[in-house]
Amino acid sequence: MMSVDEKKMSAQTEQGMPATLGNFKWNDLPDENKWADCVHCGMCLEACPTYQETGEEHQSPRGRVYLIKAVAEGKIDVNEAFSKPIFDGLDCRACETACPASVQVGGLIEEARGQIRQAMPLKGISGAVSKTVLKGFFPHPSRMHKLGGLMKLYQKSGIQKLARKTGLLNILPTHLKDMEAILPEVGKPVLGRYPEVVPAEGERKGRVALLTGCVMDVMFSDVNEATIRVLTHNGYDVHLPKNQRCCGALHIHAGDRETGKALAKQNIEAFKEFDKVLVNAAGCGAALQEYDELFRNDPEMLPLAKAFSEKVEDISKFLYENGFKRPKVEVKTRITYHDACHLAHAQGVRFEPRQLLKEIPGVELVELPDADRCCGSAGIYNLTHPDMAGRLLERKIDDIPENVEMITMGNPGCMLQIAMGVKKYGRSEKVVHTVQLLDWAYEKEKKEAENLVNT
Amino acid sequence: MFGKKSRKQPKDPLVRKLMDIVGENEVLYLKEDLVAYECDGFTMSKGMPRAVAFVHNAEEVSQIVKLLNREKVPYIARGAGTGLSGGATPLGGEVIISMVRMKRLLHVDLENRKAVVEPGFVNLKLTQSISDRGYYYAPDPSSQYACTIGGNVAENAGGAHCLKYGVTTNHILGLEVVLPNGEIVEIGEEGIPDRPGYDLIGLLTGSEGTLGIITKITCKVLKNPQGKKTVLAYFDEINDASQAVSDIISAGIIPAALEMMDQTAIHGVESGAHPVGHPRDIAAFLLIEVDGIEAGIDDQMNEIVEVCKKNHVREVKVAQSEAERELWWANRKTGFSAMGAISPDYLVQDGVIPRTRLPEVLTKIGEISKKYNLRIANIFHAGDGNLHPLVLYDARVPGEAERAAKAGSECLKVCADAGGSITGEHGVGIEKKEEMRFIFTDEEIEAQTNIRAVFNPEDLLNPGKLFPEPGRCVEVKRAKAQ
Ligand SMILES: Cc1cc2nc3c(=O)[nH]c(=O)nc-3n(C[C@H](O)[C@H](O)[C@H](O)COP(=O)(O)OP(=O)(O)OC[C@H]3O[C@@H](n4cnc5c(N)ncnc54)[C@H](O)[C@@H]3O)c2cc1C
Ligand code: SF4
Ligand code: SF4
Repeated sequence: MMSVDEKKMSAQTEQGMPATLGNFKWNDLPDENKWADCVHCGMCLEACPTYQETGEEHQSPRGRVYLIKAVAEGKIDVNEAFSKPIFDGLDCRACETACPASVQVGGLIEEARGQIRQAMPLKGISGAVSKTVLKGFFPHPSRMHKLGGLMKLYQKSGIQKLARKTGLLNILPTHLKDMEAILPEVGKPVLGRYPEVVPAEGERKGRVALLTGCVMDVMFSDVNEATIRVLTHNGYDVHLPKNQRCCGALHIHAGDRETGKALAKQNIEAFKEFDKVLVNAAGCGAALQEYDELFRNDPEMLPLAKAFSEKVEDISKFLYENGFKRPKVEVKTRITYHDACHLAHAQGVRFEPRQLLKEIPGVELVELPDADRCCGSAGIYNLTHPDMAGRLLERKIDDIPENVEMITMGNPGCMLQIAMGVKKYGRSEKVVHTVQLLDWAYEKEKKEAENLVNT
Repeated sequence: MFGKKSRKQPKDPLVRKLMDIVGENEVLYLKEDLVAYECDGFTMSKGMPRAVAFVHNAEEVSQIVKLLNREKVPYIARGAGTGLSGGATPLGGEVIISMVRMKRLLHVDLENRKAVVEPGFVNLKLTQSISDRGYYYAPDPSSQYACTIGGNVAENAGGAHCLKYGVTTNHILGLEVVLPNGEIVEIGEEGIPDRPGYDLIGLLTGSEGTLGIITKITCKVLKNPQGKKTVLAYFDEINDASQAVSDIISAGIIPAALEMMDQTAIHGVESGAHPVGHPRDIAAFLLIEVDGIEAGIDDQMNEIVEVCKKNHVREVKVAQSEAERELWWANRKTGFSAMGAISPDYLVQDGVIPRTRLPEVLTKIGEISKKYNLRIANIFHAGDGNLHPLVLYDARVPGEAERAAKAGSECLKVCADAGGSITGEHGVGIEKKEEMRFIFTDEEIEAQTNIRAVFNPEDLLNPGKLFPEPGRCVEVKRAKAQ
């Protein structure tokens, strides 16, 4: 009898490294073993937001896996019709939590997107968004930071100026106005502004490196600041390697695996001297943890990627497992917690952030029904698929319990999306990152201690 | 549903007529979209549908049925497509009428213990919608996370807890059905079971979508039992485990559930998404649940533990928390799919045997496994004698699928010969048509197809399912017509 590993190994050696796989004819072929694991049982159907919304088999995980297999079997071609359901997916990984056979549906879809993008380079509006935003901004920290600056300008001076400066507005659909209304007051990015090492406060427990992220650092530099304060307060030197780059998640989601790999290589290099790489953006964390997946067809990079992926951890998990300092003061508030897809489904982190929040004195956590259903943010999905994203957002906001003051979560994409929903539907909840709440508790504690000294 | 842009206009005039009835965005016709509808949970036969139409109410179903009758085009109702016998799989050229957008919970009447649902409503959602008020819907197929109640009625689905509470047919009070002539009829009356006259609900339930398309269902809901206890018992010998099953039933205990898994199956679930940590070297385990009024439960539980001990159980334990109980059930309920972790494909069989014949039947299945050189895992609703041998194979290896099909058929022969049946709950569909001959004579089969002809005279509704064809000429003609 073969164990799972044996089964996979034998299939791999049989497979070797073919140049094509049915109608998949481009570089970096999808992984046959991933669909071989799927037994077509349908247990994933109801977990999938796009199936929930449409009821269409090809808009379900099982259907997507089946279509990918159908291309490999030569039944259908890589064309527009195949591309649509593959790109309509959110990459939210809810199917992976649901699947009893542990099929890596998300990874497989990303691989198929890689084939599609090589077969059919992007045109039209999403092409423009993709090129401008993905290629033009994310890989370049300086441009991202400038974009942050522009955002600020935009906030101060309205829509026209930004349009004139970047030309971006011409290609952005109208629903972005919803988003524009909630863009956070842009702070200054942490990377480059902070020293490369921020020393621990008090007794030193160790050192960690932090991925500052691009969206996070531009839109939510306050979350990064909070993260650094929380870590140093807990006795860690926080390293912010200057040569780190965007994690590449959005490129990989969009099928641009080459840019994704280039970024991944730079990050593997940038963090090479560290044992622990912490991430406060779930999407980035999941991407870093899957670098081994990205390099599965590259025998040279694969071991490096594997070793790197193992060092990556979500901030809430790290704090919880390493006995974070329990705040000694009360933060009286009722909150709820939204599971970011890339934290709950992709990284399996659900318990730690909740527990961390509950252990802050005074915090009352009310569970959000269906907390791990995608909010529709899904990277840049809310830009490319505003309709579906909007429907998911509405359901998310509907589910938010009455009488909570804050909605906590561990991902900047979700923070933007849900903040947009709060505004759009006239709600009043504050949208915060898990570590921010902890940071406030510590800050309150410090203030009270100071007051005590002063009196 | 994802916006209309860049869709080519459909060439097939039938597709345009379907669109006129249900709306432009409610019909799929591109090959790339249709390929996903080639099969259901049974992957050994496949066929391309001509189109998929999503319906929203009985009136639309009726109009489509009338259209297809005029055009002489065959059609199939499809729920979630989790069926395991090919019931929702096209032979080629059928229009699939997808019921999944009819998914509303229409009405809950707890005082009279009933709920009215549309056919696309997912099984588990019914229990989820009423559990906070202390009620549940009893039939719990392992696929309940995804399968539809319409599909459950069509297949007369069972589940782990059907030992005590009965299968789907015992929980249906009324149906709204679109007959193959397009007529919309109500059978049964909301809330009044057992009306005089023929039991049409009984006939429709389990008819595998060949007599009519169900558009509304009134089902019974039950009050949650006061208490519940769950036991896991590990055995070193299959015979001991089977004897324990017989002894429990003979002791007069009716557990809510009494499930068994053999070693190969245990290896599967332990490699899947919900491992419990079952010892890998045991021959089988029993998962037993008793429920009811709090007072009697402990006694029943103790009696069960005693029976297991008498039958040389290696270890027997009671779930210590709801979380533990849930994990044991998740491990069991995802059993089929978890086989994906130890085998690329599986064929699940669905035999019924007299409980007492289990050891002998399992020995014979072991021989079949050797003969075909394919692993066979056994998952068993032991309490009611419903055995699921899972033949593990790799469709990529030439000839293996055919061997698996043969091995599966032989397993069913063994069940039939032991005085049992070829299906307990998954239906005949395409898969077990020929095996119907193991248990019915030609005359008996004809009697049944005559009943079908009363409802479905032209055999346009889900053709080629459930019964073996007397001759193949009908199918050949249909294939040519394409
Ligand atoms: C992992 C797994 C575990 C399973 N466990 C069990 C189990 O424990 N017990 C059990 O009984 N089954 C089980 N099944 C089989 C399957 O889930 C059931 O047969 C279920 O009832 C099918 O429902 P569906 O909505 O998926 O129907 P489909 O597969 O879509 O259709 C099944 C049949 O019903 C017909 N049909 C569907 N909807 C309608 C309608 N509205 N009107 C008329 N006909 C209709 C179809 O034409 C077809 O013939 C399991 C399947 C899987 C994959
Ligand atoms: S992806 Fe998993 S859950 Fe979905 S059909 Fe395949 S095996 Fe079943
Ligand atoms: S990743 Fe999300 S959207 Fe994509 S198939 Fe899985 S569940 Fe569906």
